[in-house]
Amino acid sequence: MKTVLLVARHEWRRLAVQPFAWTLAALVVALVAWQFLLSLQGYLELAPKLGGIADAPGVTDLVAIPLLRSVSSLLMLVLPLVTMRAIAGERRAATLPLLLASGIGSARIVLGKYIGALGYAWLLIALVALMPLSLAHATPLDVGKLAVALLGLALLAAALVAIGVLCSAWASQPALAAAAALALTGLLAVVDAGARLQGITHSGINHLALPTHLEPFLRGIVASVDVVYFVLIAAVALVVAVRRVDALRGSAD
Amino acid sequence: MRALDLTVERGEVLGLLGVNGAGKSTTLRMVAGVLAPSQGRVVIDGGDPYERPAIARRRIGYLPEVPPLHAELTPLEFLGFCARLRGLPRASITAAVERALERCGLGEVRRRPIAALSKGFRQRVGIAQAIVHEPALIVLDEPASGLDPVQALNLRELVRSLGATHAVVLSTHLLPDVAACCDRVAILHHGELRHLGSARPADASAWCVGVVQPLAASDWLALPMVEAAEALESHRWRVRLRDGTPVDAFARAVVERGFGLVALGPDAAPLESAFLAIAASGPAVHAA
Repeated sequence: MKTVLLVARHEWRRLAVQPFAWTLAALVVALVAWQFLLSLQGYLELAPKLGGIADAPGVTDLVAIPLLRSVSSLLMLVLPLVTMRAIAGERRAATLPLLLASGIGSARIVLGKYIGALGYAWLLIALVALMPLSLAHATPLDVGKLAVALLGLALLAAALVAIGVLCSAWASQPALAAAAALALTGLLAVVDAGARLQGITHSGINHLALPTHLEPFLRGIVASVDVVYFVLIAAVALVVAVRRVDALRGSAD
Repeated sequence: MRALDLTVERGEVLGLLGVNGAGKSTTLRMVAGVLAPSQGRVVIDGGDPYERPAIARRRIGYLPEVPPLHAELTPLEFLGFCARLRGLPRASITAAVERALERCGLGEVRRRPIAALSKGFRQRVGIAQAIVHEPALIVLDEPASGLDPVQALNLRELVRSLGATHAVVLSTHLLPDVAACCDRVAILHHGELRHLGSARPADASAWCVGVVQPLAASDWLALPMVEAAEALESHRWRVRLRDGTPVDAFARAVVERGFGLVALGPDAAPLESAFLAIAASGPAVHAA
C-alpha cells in the first residue's frame, strides 16, 4: 500500500506542476459556476409561485440536483483527458521503464496511477459541491439527498477513471487513450437508448447503462446493486489494465 | 537473443559492444527487469528479479537508452521520488539523494526543472536515478549517447569509479569507451554472443601514439625503447616497445625529441579487428 500511495502522491505532484490540470479544473469550475448562477436565477424567479404549493420542490431539487446531473455528463467528457497520460504518457515519454524496473509490480503501478487520477476527480467534485452547499446559510438544504447524489458522482468518477486508466494502458498515445475512453464511456452512457425509445426500462441492457445506476443516487436512493455496478466496472477495468501492463513487460515495446 | 550466458562480478565493468540491432538494449532490458525473457533466467545475488521483484527494486539500477525523466520536476524532487520508489528508508533518502547529486555533478542544477537542463545534465540525472539507491548492479544503456567530448570523458571517469564498488554493465558501440571504462567486453551480433574477453589489449607493449610532427618509422626506431613502429594515419602511429619499458619513459623520450606528443593510449587494434570481423559476418546458422 505504501508504494501505491507513493505513486499516487507522485501523480498529484506532477499534476500540480503542470498547467494542464489547473486549466482543466478552472474550465470545469467556471462552466459549472455559470450553470449554477443560471439555475439560481431561475429558482429565484420561480420561488414566489412555489410558496402556495404543498410539498413544492425546494432549492435542492430545483438547483442542486440538476446541477450535479449535468456535472455527471461533464465528468464523462473531462475524465478521459485526466487519465489519458496515466500510462500512455509514460510510454510516449519513454519513462515507463523507471516504474517497470523499480520492481514494485504492475498492480501497484496501476493502482497508484488510478488513485492519483481519482484524487483529482474527487477534488473537482468537491469544488463543484461547494456551490450548492454555499446556499445552506440562506435556505434549508436537503443535506441527505445532496450527500447521496455526491456519493453517486464519486462512484461514477471511480468507474470512469478506471476506464480511462485501462484505455491509457492499452493505447500507446495519450490522445488515442482519451478517444478510446470517451468512446467506451459514451457507449456505456447510451447503450440502452434504443430500448428506452421502445419503452423498455428494466431489461438486461438497461442494467448495463451508466445513467440507470446513477439516477437513483440523484433521487436520493442508495441501492446496493448500483454501488456494486460502479465498483464492478472499476475493478474489471483495473484488473485488465494490470494484465496489460504485465504484457508490456513481456513485449519489446 | 540466443544462447547468451554472461556473468559480471562486483568491482567489474562489463562492456556490451555491437552494431545497431545486435541485441544490446534487449539484453540490458532483460537484465534490468523490464523485459521478461521468454526462455532462460536472470540471476542477481542468487535470486531471479522476475520471481522476486524486491531484488530488482533494491539491487538493480537501470539507465535506458532514453533517460526516463519526469521533466516537469527538479533533479532534487525526481531523485527523492526514485529513492522512495526503490524502497530506501525515509531517514536515509536525503543523504542518498545528496550523494547521487554530488557524484553526478548536479549540485548547481538541483533546483532547476529537468526540462530546462541541457542534454548532458539530463543524462547525468538519468545516471543519478540509477545509482541513488546504491544498487549492486548498475545497467547503463548507451550512457554517452549525445554527449560532447568533455561530458563523455567525465562520464567515463564516473563509470570507472562506479565500477570500483559495483557491478556495471554498459552498452555502447564506441570502442574508445570500452577501452577506457571496461574490464571485460562482450561483442553481440544478430542476438548472439560472439566474443567475450578482456577489454585490455593482450599485448601490453603496443601503444597508439598521436604526434604533431610528420615522422618516418626510422624516427621512432631511433628511440632506444622502440622495437617497431607502424603508421596508422599521417600523424598516428602504432608503436611496440621493448619488454619492460615503462610507458612514462617512452612518453618522456617522445617529448624530449620534439615529436609533438598529442595522444598516447593502449592499442585497441585487436578488439577493433575482432569487432569489425564480427560486424561484417552474417547470422549464425542453427540446426533445427
